[in-house]
Amino acid sequence: MTSTRLTGREALNRVLASELAVNRRAVVMGETVRLAGSSGVLHGLYDRFGPSQVIETPVSENGIFGAALGLALAGFRPIVEIYSADFLLVVANEIIGDMCKWRQQQARPGPMPIVIRGCMGPNAKGGLGPEHSQSMEPYFHHAPGLVIVTPGTPRDMAGLLRASLRSPDPVLFFEHRRVYDLADEIPDDESFIIELGRAEVVREGKDVTLVAWGWMRSEAEIASSVLDAEGISVELIDPRTIAPMDHEAIRRSVARTAQLVVAEEAPRTGGVGAEVLARAVESAARPIRVARVSMPDAIHPYSASMERLFIPNANTIADAVRRLVSSARSAPPVLAR
Amino acid sequence: MLTAKRMTVEDLASAYRVMMLSRRFDEWLGELNHRGTPVPHYHSGVGQEALMVAAVTPLRRTDQMIYTHRGYGHLLAKGISLREIALDLFMKAGGTNHGLGGVMHVNRPDLGVPGREGVFGGRFAIAAGLALAAKLDGRDEVTVCFYGEAAGARGNLYEALNMVVLWNLPVIYVAENNGWSFSSRTEWLYPEGRMSRVWRGFEIPVEVIDGNDAEEVFATVSRAVARARAGEGPSVIEALTYRLEPHIWRDKAAYQPPDEIASWRRRDPIARAARRLLELGMNQNEIDSIACWAEDEVERTIAAVEAAPDATWEDGRHQMEV
Ligand SMILES: Cc1ncc(C[n+]2csc(CCOP(=O)(O)OP(=O)(O)O)c2C)c(N)n1
Repeated sequence: MTSTRLTGREALNRVLASELAVNRRAVVMGETVRLAGSSGVLHGLYDRFGPSQVIETPVSENGIFGAALGLALAGFRPIVEIYSADFLLVVANEIIGDMCKWRQQQARPGPMPIVIRGCMGPNAKGGLGPEHSQSMEPYFHHAPGLVIVTPGTPRDMAGLLRASLRSPDPVLFFEHRRVYDLADEIPDDESFIIELGRAEVVREGKDVTLVAWGWMRSEAEIASSVLDAEGISVELIDPRTIAPMDHEAIRRSVARTAQLVVAEEAPRTGGVGAEVLARAVESAARPIRVARVSMPDAIHPYSASMERLFIPNANTIADAVRRLVSSARSAPPVLAR
Repeated sequence: MLTAKRMTVEDLASAYRVMMLSRRFDEWLGELNHRGTPVPHYHSGVGQEALMVAAVTPLRRTDQMIYTHRGYGHLLAKGISLREIALDLFMKAGGTNHGLGGVMHVNRPDLGVPGREGVFGGRFAIAAGLALAAKLDGRDEVTVCFYGEAAGARGNLYEALNMVVLWNLPVIYVAENNGWSFSSRTEWLYPEGRMSRVWRGFEIPVEVIDGNDAEEVFATVSRAVARARAGEGPSVIEALTYRLEPHIWRDKAAYQPPDEIASWRRRDPIARAARRLLELGMNQNEIDSIACWAEDEVERTIAAVEAAPDATWEDGRHQMEV
């Protein structure tokens, strides 16, 4: 099977183009989409598919998301771009209140095929400020009825976006700004798909289970190599979707390692990591030891150099693993920073 | 300018039947409530029947309609049966949503009633999306979106407004100015108590009409629908009416002055439509028989619905799995 080396941005563009080509009722909508969207993902789509499939909107998030729901009710498949994932808070009600609840409240089991996608997190330079850098998945994973996707590689971006475009449920598809610039071999096959809700064991290991997604997956990979050289064997799992979360894959790994570290980019309290740890503890047949690496419970500093002190990276992840592995059994769970 | 389509005596008579059915059902629920059986999510539409019904009768089955929480006239006029509405209201098995949404989420997509959102404000853009879908598909369907003082005060209205004018969408927004928003007077919420002022910044038709005059409602909405179908874009109708009953089942509405209610009772849209029917040549017996028919219909429906089994979570979930 042939493949092509593509960046995350290019991989997403290709999947969107193939969807628009086969489904006349698939429409991309959002701000600045006529040019290329807020992060360049939509480059060339307007020229190719025109204004009835690539719909430039005013900066009217409530308007856009409400209209997307109306389109979905009329049998369309809206693919909505949010300018930056942070701004989803503006439309939390359209998403959680309307899109998620609609089918149950009207008892209509048909699809609610809305894909909401957009860039998230700090880019490599950082310093985008606290209104353009947050990890948004914790805010939404509490809401029943949503699929939340956090691809950590261009290949996953392609395969998971295609799966999202087949989803009967509304999807939040979070594109980490740093994953856009990675490059991968992506299968050319237009049916290449990665099932939603399936974790990937990125690296097998026996001493400790490490769970990371989005950009943290890349940092955790580096940390795992470093630890391996020190004699700590890490099993790295990327859940790839936050909802549904593949708790079973994590449980299986932890059944062998009995030690679990979650690395997440968002602040700690009420995070996705908390849920992962809680489920692992609940489902473990024997006592396990757990730790989290996260951003502290703080607002992103605007300055890039200050921000770097807050966001977990390979070093802080490796430290957390070392501490967990070396500390005495009676010690409390390791808390990074 | 498209000429107004007038109601024939048959049109008015059939609207009158639906108005009467809506009224009798409301009265029955009000009575039940009065006797101490709370009727959850019951918002009486008494006084607003001309608006609810005559604004829907110009629509085709395939036209989309977003209704408000108040009254059952919109739903009945769009072809949903009283039985379905009552089953939903009493959380009985059957109905349109099997107890999963109750009377606040009655829906029949096949009749152009996709459902309702309960957090006010979303509807303006949802309606825009429904209208956009018709336009993209090249279908000449229109969407009618009713809204009250509460939704109309949300900023969402402006975003949708800008979009529907920008994209010239086939949508008609109908403001139900019924004098009150729960315990707040419309005048306390909108300058001079008018809900449609905000739309005037755009060069689209914005009409303020007597919402208790079924013929005027019908003619105005027909004009707006014809315009939208012809690809001429959105329009807005603010219908002035009055909420004659309390806001909700547990409201005593002591804040509504009795003389104000009395003066609006004299403008009752049902009595008014009956007078017009007489003028147009219908005889009093025929008119009275409509009231009897509605009474019977409500009684029979209620009896059947009371006997129906309660909806269960399992039943609801089962509906969601098919
Ligand atoms: C966003 C939002 N805020 C508040 C409410 C609570 N609410 C329910 S009914 C109501 C008053 C409705 O008044 P109006 O829109 O005038 O309609 P009416 O009841 O008079 O028909 C309010 C404020 C809501 N449902 N959604």
